Amino acid sequence: MIAIFSSTSQMMRQVIYALALGIGASYYFFGWGIIAQIILAVATAIAVEALFLKIRKMPIAPAIGDGSAALTGILLAISVPSIAPWWVIVVGVAFAIIFGKQLYGGLGNNPFNPAMLGYAFLLISYPLQMTTWAGDFVNLSQALDVIFNLNVVDALSGATQLDEVKTQLALGKSISELSVHSTAQAYINAGFLLGGLYLLIRRIIFWHIPVAFLAGIVITAFFLSLNDVEYHLPTQNHLMLGGTMLGAFFIATDPVSACTTPKGRLIYGFLIGMLVVIIRTFGNYPDGIAFAVLLINIMVPLIDYYTQPKVFGK
Amino acid sequence: MLDAFNNGIVIENPYPVTQVEIIQAPLPDKVVLPLQQRIGEEAEPCVKVGDKVLTGQLIAQTPDKFCTPIHASISGTVVAIDQQIIPHKSGLKSTCITLESDGKDEWIENEGVGDFLHCSRETLLDYVQQSGIIGLGGAGFPTHSKLRCLQECQTLIINATECEPGISCDDAMMQHNAREVVRGIEVLLHITKATQVIIAIEDDKQEAYHELLMFNHNERILIQQIPTKYTSGAEKLLIKTVLNIEIPAEELAIDHGILCQNVSTAKAIFDAVVDNKPLVSRVVTVTGDAVTPNNFEVRLGASFEHIVALAKPNNQPHAVRMGGMMMGVDVASLAVPICKITNCIFVNNVKAKEVVQECIRCGQCNQVCPVGLLPQQLYWYAKSENTEKAMDYHLSSCIECRCCDVVCPSHLPLAEYFSFAKALYRQETQTQEKVDNARERFEYREYRLERNKTERAEMMARKKEELKQKMANDKAQKDKIAEAMARVKKKNDSDI
Repeated sequence: MIAIFSSTSQMMRQVIYALALGIGASYYFFGWGIIAQIILAVATAIAVEALFLKIRKMPIAPAIGDGSAALTGILLAISVPSIAPWWVIVVGVAFAIIFGKQLYGGLGNNPFNPAMLGYAFLLISYPLQMTTWAGDFVNLSQALDVIFNLNVVDALSGATQLDEVKTQLALGKSISELSVHSTAQAYINAGFLLGGLYLLIRRIIFWHIPVAFLAGIVITAFFLSLNDVEYHLPTQNHLMLGGTMLGAFFIATDPVSACTTPKGRLIYGFLIGMLVVIIRTFGNYPDGIAFAVLLINIMVPLIDYYTQPKVFGK
Repeated sequence: MLDAFNNGIVIENPYPVTQVEIIQAPLPDKVVLPLQQRIGEEAEPCVKVGDKVLTGQLIAQTPDKFCTPIHASISGTVVAIDQQIIPHKSGLKSTCITLESDGKDEWIENEGVGDFLHCSRETLLDYVQQSGIIGLGGAGFPTHSKLRCLQECQTLIINATECEPGISCDDAMMQHNAREVVRGIEVLLHITKATQVIIAIEDDKQEAYHELLMFNHNERILIQQIPTKYTSGAEKLLIKTVLNIEIPAEELAIDHGILCQNVSTAKAIFDAVVDNKPLVSRVVTVTGDAVTPNNFEVRLGASFEHIVALAKPNNQPHAVRMGGMMMGVDVASLAVPICKITNCIFVNNVKAKEVVQECIRCGQCNQVCPVGLLPQQLYWYAKSENTEKAMDYHLSSCIECRCCDVVCPSHLPLAEYFSFAKALYRQETQTQEKVDNARERFEYREYRLERNKTERAEMMARKKEELKQKMANDKAQKDKIAEAMARVKKKNDSDI
């Protein structure tokens, strides 16, 4: 059966609510930075969207009211490091809204996931700021200090687990010599997983993309680890590190840029999951979700065309 | 229980009819009877202004095989034959006969056909046609033509599903006239010679189901409950649900030996064949949030106003719709007459329209489309008027049920876009045909001129050749004569 929503903004709001658990977990482990980033991102997203709608001579209130700009901001804010300087998120969100969305004609017309476009832009442009993560809980004054005074306190920062593993593997260590577990990331991922299940139950997203995405990760990681178990991240770590669950339930499922046919969604999700593991293992970047999503976004029209469902009587 | 087609939507009846009675509407003071049927020619009146008519009297007909005759639905006087607004999407006017009631409701004597079991199929079909019976489910296809194109019928399906949520006229009729329904089906059985009859009834109509069970003593008639879900009443989807046969898009149910008839049509056939009464009234559901929902039996041609007034409308401004909440058409005026296909009148308080937002490709519409289309893809192509691409995505299979509209969170009028795109495609293909014809004609003309030219050239050449030949012959002749002359001269000369 199907849920009937009274509006698109209601759907967007549900997605934002579903993010709360994951954001809560991030806050618990990494502190106030994440909250500050979200506030900055949402404010920027709304301001830039309003500005561009004005330039395009479109009505401003309904477009802001649909919540899609705010959602893009939030998704990007929880993807960048919580202690990144303020201009990183502002530039990233502005890029996402302008180049990812408004230049294509606004909501519904963008071929790429705007948040991931912003993320990829930031990762290429500011690799240092984008890979310096909070090492521990950061209180409010520390967070504001780091974000606004650009005072990078070494004591606060560290690399992400995926980055660390990659560096260590490159230095010749093997998986058994490393501690690849991260309680913080496991909880954050669990938070997003639960939020994602909520979206599934409310039927805001359909099961095909997340299931295929996770299957893509599991199957690819499994075959890689068959090859050489000591030099590839084990499957379960792929699932619980980095942005896996956020990607599976909130990023890849962005309806505008994803496939729309049931079969197409399965292919789409699977290809992204596969690419994520390949980029994590062989690529230069610690996490591959943004690039994987953007690459498969390109293929959406093709996949959709060849996966049309059977029409009654045809 | 079967659930063979997966999609469609369950919509709770928003305005349930609490009273099971069918209320007999009082005789209207005047009725307006349109001469244009759904298909076929406009009927020709066989009465004049000023004529007295009796209820059930034939007042218009044509020899057109699709046309069903029109009967006076009240007794009284013909007061006008002129253009009146009819319930149609575009607010069309059409020729109508207006009768004024004499308040007596005197019926015309009708001999009928006697015992239908002794009648031939043709006699019965003619009689069904003469009684003005068309499909009463809402589409209004003439019943006799549907029965006539039948070669061999294995299964007769009686569609006892209500075609849309909110309508309950068939349900109410079955609860009150189960016996007539079953007898009507027996007449249909006699006409079609079907091996089995399945009455497909939705599982929310328990009272009607039990009534039918009670009156059904015919072992060839099976009563089958199907899930209550919108669009299961659509013919091909109903066949899929009941028999699990998927009729290909280009074919008709009849090609597969299956015939569907609406349950109210069966009752109308009973009235005509057994009770000798032509179709002059029908049960109409009046519902919506501005009235007390009820079912009324009302004479054809009575105005909407006449029946809406009986349903105690409130004093706010109303939006009136003929047919169901999904596929019905908005009517501009309450003066329009009740037709044979008027199964429901929706009277709602005027509400602000929902704000239309952009399509975000959420795919909710894919989930509900009963025929498996991708409405959001179709929307792109319909919007950009790319009909060729839309046809690639099977636009022609869209049944315009509006399930996609209901679930669309952006409130896009998807079905309207599709109906527009279909019309555009029709127009384009027609234009293309004209262009093709014109081009063919032109090319043929060019070819003809070219052919004439070469023929003429050939003829000229031939003539020339002949002339040459002739001249050559002539010359030879002349030479011969000259020779002879010379010889003669020579001889003469030597003779001298």
